[in-house]
Amino acid sequence: MTETVASPGVREPEAGGTAARILDGVKVYGSGATLVRALDGVTAEFANGEFSAVMGPSGSGKSTLLHCLAGLERLTSGQVLIDGVDLGQLKDKAMTLLRRERVGFVFQSYNLVPTLDARENIVLPLTLAGRKPDRDWFDSLVSTLGIGDRLRHRPSELSGGQQQRVAMGRALVTRPALVFADEPTGNLDSRSATDLLEQMRATVDTWGQTVVMVTHDARGASYADRVLFLADGHIVRELPAPSSDTILETVRELGD
Amino acid sequence: MWRVTLTGLLAHKVRYALTALAVLLGVAFMAGTFVFTDTIKHTFDGLFSDVYSNTSAVVRAKQAYTPGANFASQRRLIDADLIPTVRQVPGVTTVSVGVEGYAQLVGRDGRAIGNPAAGAPTLGEAWTSGAERMEPYRFAEGRPPHGSDEVAIDKNSANLGHLAVGDRVVVLTKQQPREYTISGIVRWGSADSPLGASITLFDLSTAQQVLGEPGHVDEIDVAAAPGVSQEEMVRRLQAVLHRPGLEVITGAKVTEEGQNGIHQALAFFDTFLLVFAGIALFVGTFLIFNTFSIVVAQRMRELALLRAVGASRVQVVGSVLGEALLIGLVASAAGLGAGVALALGLKALLTALGFALPSSGLLVTTRTVVASMVVGVTISLAAALVPAWKAGRVPPVAALREVEVDEEPHVVRRAVSGFALFAVGAGLLLAGLLAHLPHRTAYLGGGAVLVFVGIAVAGPVLARPLCRVIGAPLRWRGGTGRLAQSNAMRNPKRTSSAAAALMVGVALVALISVMASSTKTSIGSVVDSAMRADFVVGGGGTPGGESGFSPTLARQLGALPDVASATGVRSGSVNIGGTTMVVLAVDPRHLDDLFDIDPREGDLATMGPTGIAISQEVADSDHLRVGDRLPVTFPTTGRQPFVVRAVYGARQLAGDYVLPMAAARRHFSSQLDIQVYARLAPGVSADAAREAIEGVLAAYPNATLMDRTQYKHEQEAQIDQLLGLMYGLLGLALVIALIGIANTLALSIYERTRELGLLRAVGMTRRQLRSVIRGESVLIALLGTVEGLVVGVLLGWAVVASLRSQGVTELSVPLTLLLVVALLATLAGVLAAAGPAHRAARLDVLRAISRH
Repeated sequence: MTETVASPGVREPEAGGTAARILDGVKVYGSGATLVRALDGVTAEFANGEFSAVMGPSGSGKSTLLHCLAGLERLTSGQVLIDGVDLGQLKDKAMTLLRRERVGFVFQSYNLVPTLDARENIVLPLTLAGRKPDRDWFDSLVSTLGIGDRLRHRPSELSGGQQQRVAMGRALVTRPALVFADEPTGNLDSRSATDLLEQMRATVDTWGQTVVMVTHDARGASYADRVLFLADGHIVRELPAPSSDTILETVRELGD
Repeated sequence: MWRVTLTGLLAHKVRYALTALAVLLGVAFMAGTFVFTDTIKHTFDGLFSDVYSNTSAVVRAKQAYTPGANFASQRRLIDADLIPTVRQVPGVTTVSVGVEGYAQLVGRDGRAIGNPAAGAPTLGEAWTSGAERMEPYRFAEGRPPHGSDEVAIDKNSANLGHLAVGDRVVVLTKQQPREYTISGIVRWGSADSPLGASITLFDLSTAQQVLGEPGHVDEIDVAAAPGVSQEEMVRRLQAVLHRPGLEVITGAKVTEEGQNGIHQALAFFDTFLLVFAGIALFVGTFLIFNTFSIVVAQRMRELALLRAVGASRVQVVGSVLGEALLIGLVASAAGLGAGVALALGLKALLTALGFALPSSGLLVTTRTVVASMVVGVTISLAAALVPAWKAGRVPPVAALREVEVDEEPHVVRRAVSGFALFAVGAGLLLAGLLAHLPHRTAYLGGGAVLVFVGIAVAGPVLARPLCRVIGAPLRWRGGTGRLAQSNAMRNPKRTSSAAAALMVGVALVALISVMASSTKTSIGSVVDSAMRADFVVGGGGTPGGESGFSPTLARQLGALPDVASATGVRSGSVNIGGTTMVVLAVDPRHLDDLFDIDPREGDLATMGPTGIAISQEVADSDHLRVGDRLPVTFPTTGRQPFVVRAVYGARQLAGDYVLPMAAARRHFSSQLDIQVYARLAPGVSADAAREAIEGVLAAYPNATLMDRTQYKHEQEAQIDQLLGLMYGLLGLALVIALIGIANTLALSIYERTRELGLLRAVGMTRRQLRSVIRGESVLIALLGTVEGLVVGVLLGWAVVASLRSQGVTELSVPLTLLLVVALLATLAGVLAAAGPAHRAARLDVLRAISRH
């Protein structure tokens, strides 16, 4: 079990390069009367080392955007490029390997494997690739996430915040080009949520990690470098250097 | 609540379909057995009534006792001069004379037709001209035999031997083999032959000469004038026949005897098949239990919600039992249908194997229908009882909280009660095996069931440590292997009960393998230690049967210069001290030359015609010594005085009693040798002797010449044949066990959909996912196999120990075979995982993750 993608190993992010790009992305569900255009011609770029938040009302297409960017779902038309690789050209297996090597995930409901302990959950993508974790990287990861003393515990023995930090560790362990987070703080109390957001910010600042996070929490989005607002499958606004206030203001504006 | 039950069933069609399949297979096997044997019984009952419809009364020799269904009739002959006396009795219209004996046809290819040593008998009979309406045979072609050069043969043999009217055919009898012309081909009622027996008809005087004795016949059948009842006919015959040892019975009685004979022969077959149907149903019970347990666990919230909105505990239990009832009903009905199809298949199979079965429709009796439905439904309900009770105990508040599916087993309680059940079961088994109790089979069956249930109860405690050990190699396969192992270990209750079904099947396979292997080894060592003869001529017949080699053969072999001594072995039914058995008779002068039966007391060689040799065991248990009187009753000649002349040790070879040939000549009804043993003259090479002996055997196409090694192999081959049949039947139980594993996996995967989606999302390929599920399946299969092998070998050891007195003295565990079983189980695990793994790999990743 030593499958790797075409670009093996860990790549240093090129300063100023693009981690992911979506060009004129269209995603259509159903047909005829029940046809829904979840994405309706979305074009966006995610620069290396940038922390982007995606906001929008339910049904705006933000989760669909995330899933298509992450290679969990295919566009109806348009293009998604991760690290310069066109996802539309990949078969299921190559897509799986790309997810394993180049993409990290954090979900709202922690989604850890119940039979594995924290450590095993973190290194799962490497285990699946038949690789050993880089010791130094692993150590700095767990100490940054503050879960060094929880590594032998099963998910059922961890609090929600701890579980989400383990999920964060799993997302980062392969040093992916991108980490996608889908409402990562949705199930957490405010204290744990703050901790997690600070850690995400720290990964961007310390390691130059690229992060794309879907959220409907203005405070959460304020940790990002920019916020993309979606409505009816279009990007309707981009807000650089956001604060909670400017975000809430924009939400109100768009709601009118 | 019925609506809830129904929607519950409909919502989980697939998982219940597999459960129903397990019940269906077991019921089908049972129903198939019933339908088949009922049909055969009914057909033969009808045939016997037809065949004897014109027979009013039968005159024949009395029997001291009835030797049993599987033996030839074993009566003395009666004087042929009774025939004119019988003819003159008022009311007698037709007389048919019965002469019966061994006759075997030789086919076109020079090979003997039929094998009386292993299959249906080969019989010769007299055809009485002028009594056609009383004959059971009808001419399909040609005409009855006339004179000493003609025979008529049955259609089945004609087909097998490619023989036609006008052909010359060699017939083996107790005389020298001879060639005859086929004058006609007959059928028996609507069948080509009676149950596949091969039939050769001679005219009366030829039959007396080659089958019986000139001047004697076996029986005289009479037809009565209209108005004379069978009882009246019997009375009139009895009035004129005053000789002692004669009996006159009604045609109705003879019909009944024939029918009973068939019933008894079928009863063995019946029981044999029903035992395997029982095993299949027992294994199916585990499957049903497991399915319901998992389904109840998965529906915990739904059931709690029902309780919360006001359903009573009884209603919840009832809804689960209701599902079981419906499954039981549907599966039993379908099983009944499948059973009818199975009976048809069985009939076709037996026909293909050479049993000529009469064509007839299938008979589905009320008993078959009722038994199938009752058994199927009862088993479904019984298996669902515990899960249903658990469902009733779900507290309403469970509806509101996250459900913990992976519950920990109560280790101590399970271990203790499992062990207790196991111990009681083992006790019953040992009692059944070692003590001479009435209803032994009940002890054995009950004991085996308890042993298996005990292990199943303790299973969850054993599952984790066993999976850790057995699954160790999986870890070499990296991450997927580890995941597979931890999946198998996460719910030990589920894993162990999925494995339990396989455990039962594998244990039975291991048990019979150990028994067979031990028996073979024991036979081998007896042949090595106790047989001095260099060659055995086999293929003659079974002990107690009516077929064999003409005594001429042993004489001819003994006369060869290359052969130092040769003797035939004869067999017959006797009754000693109230027990009926088949004993062997040999020429005492050659005994020591050919066998080492470990003489302990007395002298075998000087045993006169009223001497008998007994085994040390019998001498000890019955307190007999050389010189003691030991009366022996024969069916033909009644009670006869015998005196113990020798005691021997090697009972494995000769049984408990050995009679001198002189006694056999006087009292056995069959005067044919079932085997002939020969020892070579000193200095003669085996090859030279073989050539000389085969020269003599050329005239006996039914004979097979075997040296010691070949003889051993032949004995082993007989065991292997039976073994093959049993493996085939146990295969059904194994298939059901595999369905169980597949079902458990499918249910587990359904439950883990989200987790699997997650694994796919973080980079598990489809292939890796399939490999994880396969790994889990193989682990479950291996768990069941390892448990089964251990239990089976232990049971085998107990059974072999109990058979010590039956001549099974050596315990032999066929390691290679058991290894093959383990390998097959691994393969089976892969097979069982195929469906679930395929489905899991096709999961839509997104939908799996977002499912709650």
